[in-house]
Amino acid sequence: MTVPDRPRLNLDDAADSFLVERASDGDVSSFESLARRYGPLMRGYARRLTGSTADADDAVQETLLQAWNQLGKLQDGSAVKPWLMRICGRKSIDLIRKRKNTVNLDDVEPFDHGPGPERAVEQDTQMRSLVEALKRLPLEQRQCWVLKEMGGQSYEDIAKTMDTTTDSVRGRLSRARTTLMKEMEDWR
Amino acid sequence: MNNELPDPGCGHSLDELEEYLRTGQSAAEQHYLRCPECQAGLAGLRSLQRLSGQLAAADTEQAGSADEPWLQSILGNLRLEMRSGRSIPLSSEYPEDAFFETEGSLLALIRRIGDDVDGATIGKCRLHGDITTPGADVMIEVNVTAFFGYPLPAMIESLRSRIAAMISTHSELNLTSIDVTVTDVHEHFSPAPKGAVNE
Repeated sequence: MTVPDRPRLNLDDAADSFLVERASDGDVSSFESLARRYGPLMRGYARRLTGSTADADDAVQETLLQAWNQLGKLQDGSAVKPWLMRICGRKSIDLIRKRKNTVNLDDVEPFDHGPGPERAVEQDTQMRSLVEALKRLPLEQRQCWVLKEMGGQSYEDIAKTMDTTTDSVRGRLSRARTTLMKEMEDWR
Repeated sequence: MNNELPDPGCGHSLDELEEYLRTGQSAAEQHYLRCPECQAGLAGLRSLQRLSGQLAAADTEQAGSADEPWLQSILGNLRLEMRSGRSIPLSSEYPEDAFFETEGSLLALIRRIGDDVDGATIGKCRLHGDITTPGADVMIEVNVTAFFGYPLPAMIESLRSRIAAMISTHSELNLTSIDVTVTDVHEHFSPAPKGAVNE
């Protein structure tokens, strides 16, 4: 009788909650599967917030470190994605605060791997216009808007991240929306 | 829709429309459904939302894949910082020597041994008890995901005996019990374990 190939659960296919359970017990490879699953999402988001690839990588690293240390506090393992995005949003905003306007935020610098996927954005005129319109928004409005629309954060989470009140977040989002809608009229 | 302002000209604001879109309910719903200005406003908000989603997706795509050097370097930095758990004392011949093994190393051994039992994948795995005090009672809690088709009692017995043997070889813990819970049964028919699944 030959020894059958034993089926193995591939961690990269496993459910978030399973990986969280293992990782919170100290299983590094389960944690790395989570990092691979949500790393690109966090990096793209952090770059949109910080405007810099180096800062985005720092934000992702700090996010993962905090996640590793606090994974045990996450009650519902299946909610790990929004949880990571919340931490990542906060780390990105903290990084911007630390360097206090010393970096030009007008341009989101491209990732350094050739002329590939940037084209996807360039080719879509409307998306290009949205990017331009976002650049013209006042910094805090833009941050609130990205945290909500791209990070999926609630008003309460954004208020915590931005160290302000939910009313102020509401106001900033309302002004950002009005401006963007007005500009969108011109894109048509 | 008013050309100068994105607010609909019918007395309802863009914020109201946004709240209606977000929550799916509003006292003015009947009005929104009939008012051309509000319909235009809602359409505009929807396309802004759609564009934002597309931009987020494009950002993620541009960020590169997970097997590129940027993530490898981040994970490399993190590995140095990942905790290895509590320190478990080991006795030594000379009282002035202090030997320890880490909790993380024992858990990794339990996991490796457990994953090697046919049909089993270890989930949660914990050492309960004051493992930092020599001789203290220690209980091991293990959750297992089983593959469909493997007899569970034999699997659990095998897990228990292998973990107990490993712990007595590799530590001086006073192991009182091993609690094994099968938390999930995973369907996996290919390749089929011969003799265990009826085909």
